[in-house]
Amino acid sequence: MSILSVIGISKNYGPIKALHDVSFEVPQGSVFGILGPNGSGKTTLLGIITDVLKASSGNYLWLGKQGSHEQRKQIGTLLETPNFYPYLSGTDNLAVAAAIKGRGANDIDRVLEMVNLFQRRKSRFNTYSLGMKQRLAIASTLLGNPDILVFDEPTNGLDPAGIAEIRQLIKELNRQGKTIIMASHILDEVEKVCTHVAILQKGVLKTVGTVEQILLGTQGENGQTINIASDDLAKLEAIVREMPGVSSVRITDGVIEITTNNSIDPAQINRYCFEKGVVLNSLSLKRKSLETSFLEITGKKSDR
Amino acid sequence: MIQLLRIEWLKIRSYKTFWILLGAFIILFPVTYYFSASKYMETIDNRSQESTMINAILGAPFVFPKVWHSAAWFGGLFFLLLGMLFILLITNEVQYRTHRQNIIDGWSRTDFILAKTSVMICFILLSTLLVFLSGLMVGLVFTPSSSSTGLFEGIKYVGYFALMATEYLMLAFLVAILIKRTGLAIIIYFTSVCIIDNLLWILLTLKDSQLGYFVLLEPSDSLVPNPFKPSMLEKRKVSDTSLLLTALAYIGSFGYIILGSFRRSDLKT
Repeated sequence: MSILSVIGISKNYGPIKALHDVSFEVPQGSVFGILGPNGSGKTTLLGIITDVLKASSGNYLWLGKQGSHEQRKQIGTLLETPNFYPYLSGTDNLAVAAAIKGRGANDIDRVLEMVNLFQRRKSRFNTYSLGMKQRLAIASTLLGNPDILVFDEPTNGLDPAGIAEIRQLIKELNRQGKTIIMASHILDEVEKVCTHVAILQKGVLKTVGTVEQILLGTQGENGQTINIASDDLAKLEAIVREMPGVSSVRITDGVIEITTNNSIDPAQINRYCFEKGVVLNSLSLKRKSLETSFLEITGKKSDR
Repeated sequence: MIQLLRIEWLKIRSYKTFWILLGAFIILFPVTYYFSASKYMETIDNRSQESTMINAILGAPFVFPKVWHSAAWFGGLFFLLLGMLFILLITNEVQYRTHRQNIIDGWSRTDFILAKTSVMICFILLSTLLVFLSGLMVGLVFTPSSSSTGLFEGIKYVGYFALMATEYLMLAFLVAILIKRTGLAIIIYFTSVCIIDNLLWILLTLKDSQLGYFVLLEPSDSLVPNPFKPSMLEKRKVSDTSLLLTALAYIGSFGYIILGSFRRSDLKT
C-alpha cells in the first residue's frame, strides 16, 4: 500500500494556478523528493497534505485513508520554517508539540540529543541561531518516533557540517524503515538522499519515478556523454568524428567530449580508437547528474 | 477540552505579557472599586443634605443589594484588559505561525478553536469570581449592620457580568480570527467597543427608539447600566430577557462565524 496518494490536486489563488491536477504515489520505505524551483508549488502541496491549506480540487490519502488530524499525530512534519513560541525554551516548545501529538514528554531529551541541541534545551527559542531553530524543528518531527516524516527544505539555514549531519540522519531514518517525503530545490540534496523524485514546475507535475528512472529516462532521450583523451588530441578528434553512432564531438579542457547514441559503450570506443592507431590515456563515461536531467525536463530559463 | 486547556497553559505560563495584563486586571479592578466605594461612603457620611439626597437618588451603589450592580459595572470598565490579552493570545499564534504548527502536529481546526475557547471560559470564570468577591467584600464593609437586605439579593448582576464578559471576549475572538494582525485587531476591537458601539447606540435611540439596545455589545452592556445614573434618566423599555436573548444570539453568531471561517480558510500569516 502507498504511504501517500495524491489524487488530482489543484490549488488556485484567484487566477493563479499554484498546483494543477497533481497526482502521484509515495511508496513505503522510500525517501521521496519533491523537486522544483522556487514557486513551483512544493510547499503548497505539502501544506495541503498537512491540512494547513485547502485544495481547490482533488484529494489525498494517507495509508489509503482520508487525511485526518488523528493521522497527522503519527506523522512528523516540518513545513517551510520552524514555527515555535519565541519566549519558550526548546524543551517547553517540544512539550507543546508532544502534548498535541498525544505523546509523553519523556521523549523530548532523546530527540534533542539526536539533533545536538540538548545542551541548549533550556534556552529560549528566540536566542537560537537559524541553524538551531531548524534543528529544533527536526527534533519536533522525531517526537514519538513516527514512521512517516515530511520535511520541507530540511537543510535550510544549516552550515555545511549541519547539512551533512541532517542528510545522514535522513538516510539513517530511512534505513530504519521510515518513509520520508522531502521537498527541496537543491538538486544535489535530492540526488544524494532520495530514492524517488517528483519534479514540479509552475504547479505541474513534470515527471515522477525513482531517481534512477529519471536519470535513465533523460539519458535515453538524449544519448550518453563519454570523455576521452590521448597524447594526440587533433588526430583523436578526427577519427572519432568518423565513428558511426557519434553525434557530437568537442574539445574541452584537454579532453574530447563525445555524445553517442546508447548502442555504443566505452569498450567499443576504446577498441575503435586503438584499431585506428590512437591509444587512449583517459576514458570515462560521464554519468548524467540529476541537475542535467532536471534542466532537460524543466528547460534552462532562469524563470522556469 | 481539559486536555486542550492544559496545552494552552503550557503555551502561556511563561508569557510575560499574559501575567502583566492579567495581573493588571486582578489588581486594578478590585483596588479601584474598593477605593471608589470608600471615597463615596466617606462623602455620604458627611450627612449633609446634599449628599443624603445624592445617595437617595443613586440608591446606595456600594451597599447591599446594589453593590452587585456596581461591582459588575466596575468589572466591565476594566474588562477591556482581558479582551486585549485574548486578542494577543490568538494573533500571536498567527504571527509565530504556531497556529499552522498546531494543526500540522495533529490538532483539528475545531481543536484549535476549542482550545482558545477553554482559555476564554477561564477568563470569564476568573473575572466573574473577582466581581463576586469584590462585591461581597465592599458590601460587607460598607453595608450598615442595621440593614435587613439579604446578602445575595441582586446577585443577578454577577450573572449579567458573566454574559457581558462572554460577549466582549467573543467579539475579541472574532476580530482576532478575521484580522490576524495584532496591532490592527486591537485598534479595530477598541474602536468597535468604545466608539462604533456607542455611536450606533446614540443614533438608534434617538426619538425614543429602542433599537440601539440591540446593537452589537449594547444588549449585555445595557443589562449592567451605569449605577451612578439616576433611574429616572433611564430610557430603556425593553425587558432584561429580550436583551439577554439578543446577547446570546450575538455570542452564537460570533461563534458560528469564528468556527466556519477558521475551518475553511488557508492558514497563512
